Amino acid sequence: MAPVGPRSGDAIFASGERVNAELFTLTYGAIVRQLLTDLEEVDEVNKQLDQMGYNIGIRLVDEFLAKSNVSRCVDFKETTDVIAKVGFKMFLGVSASVTNWDADGTCCSIMLDDNPLVDFVELPDTCQGLYYCNILSGVIRGALEMVSMKADVTWARDMLRGDDAFELQVKLIKQVPEEYPYKDDE
Amino acid sequence: MGREVSESCIDSLLTEMVSTYCNRFYATKPELAARRIEAIGYQVGHQLSERYTMERPRFSDHLEAIKFICKDFWSEVFKKQIDNLKTNHRGTFVLQDNRFRWLARMSVDPPTENGGLPQDPSALAENEATQLMSMYLYFPCGIIRGALSNLGISCAVSADISSLPACSFVIRIKA
Amino acid sequence: MIVCVAVVGHQNNPLYIQSFTEADDALKLHHIVHCSLDVVDERVNNPKKSGPMLNETFLGLLYPTENYKVYGYLTNTKVKFILVTTDLDVKDADVRNFFRRFHAAYVDAVSNPFHVPGKKITSRTFADRVSSIVKSFGLSSTV
Repeated sequence: MAPVGPRSGDAIFASGERVNAELFTLTYGAIVRQLLTDLEEVDEVNKQLDQMGYNIGIRLVDEFLAKSNVSRCVDFKETTDVIAKVGFKMFLGVSASVTNWDADGTCCSIMLDDNPLVDFVELPDTCQGLYYCNILSGVIRGALEMVSMKADVTWARDMLRGDDAFELQVKLIKQVPEEYPYKDDE
Repeated sequence: MGREVSESCIDSLLTEMVSTYCNRFYATKPELAARRIEAIGYQVGHQLSERYTMERPRFSDHLEAIKFICKDFWSEVFKKQIDNLKTNHRGTFVLQDNRFRWLARMSVDPPTENGGLPQDPSALAENEATQLMSMYLYFPCGIIRGALSNLGISCAVSADISSLPACSFVIRIKA
Repeated sequence: MIVCVAVVGHQNNPLYIQSFTEADDALKLHHIVHCSLDVVDERVNNPKKSGPMLNETFLGLLYPTENYKVYGYLTNTKVKFILVTTDLDVKDADVRNFFRRFHAAYVDAVSNPFHVPGKKITSRTFADRVSSIVKSFGLSSTV
């Protein structure tokens, strides 16, 4: 019997296949370092990481919807909440929360309590402009786009750059009206 | 038990890394893409062998180090050990994993026996899948080479997928 | 009191060396570390002397000088850790405990994706961790 109703991020994380986080953390680190060698420009690396995340995000949505059993969220507020509370937990095993809503409900912050990507990482002086975790902002951007929400996702605070928290700012640009994917006659 | 992440994280990351290097950066130069992917694996293997050999006595010969890769190292990374280890006693070791996790979970399906004659489109797709798979394998080959190199063993590592879903890694130690 | 710790690469290239004394004896300490490397090589290449402890990472007391005791540790990846102390009555368990924690700090430092193997360890986190390990040396032998 399929479970009824949405499942918590904790439950999905606990029941799914998991791997050693070190492998993931070190692999991501090695990719960033290799991109820096190949692309040379820090800005270009930021862009590539975001692009890689975007591609991952658009693919992860299906797995997310299937495993979490959440019904399609209608508004931006609900969607960001689900991403923070269920998405982060079920993939990275960490919790995140949403704060700093603006008055018209189109801009908010996702705060990460913990971030497995940055274990062991210290940015060298030559990489001060690097948004090391830019893959995460790309993932969120890609995932939102798949549920018809175009958004800008940027790092407002980054502990690797000396800030006191990891804070992603998510700004809704436009919500594309949902099109029904099925056609009656072909 | 240390920190864990969902297996989809590492799968998605590896798939995207391979596609970035093979399709976007070096679409026309597969040998360059292969070298970069191997280099990423090398760094990971180098760092992992540093971590996983902590609190254990030093290895006294090559065989001991290779056995460590087959058992403890493989278990940490893939939650299973290598199924079969062969050597010619002249510096070549073959490590076979009967069901190599990263291939089993790859989004591209391995060529299956669909009984039919090799038809053009499917043969082409099959060929493409095999090509992508071999690109992907440069990563674990790099991991093994990096791990052994950090243990003082310089070698060349290649992968053999002629009997999927098994995968064999061939290690040739440089004299 | 620990007066000096060092990390030395497999080609005897210094990766990290830090002294913890007020006195101006850095040169002397560096010399002691340097001399200890030969003792490490000798120990490792003459397994008879190490007996049943063969291949253990902890090498024990390398040699005593008039004022110092020098201890060594050799990782599986052929990196040497050297500890110089002025305590003349040192518990073996304390030294082992020190090296275990030091090794963990080292492993995390070289797990930084921007660290280049064989290059000096410049991490601030590592330096901070080392100084706290050094400060707590001998305070407690329990894990």
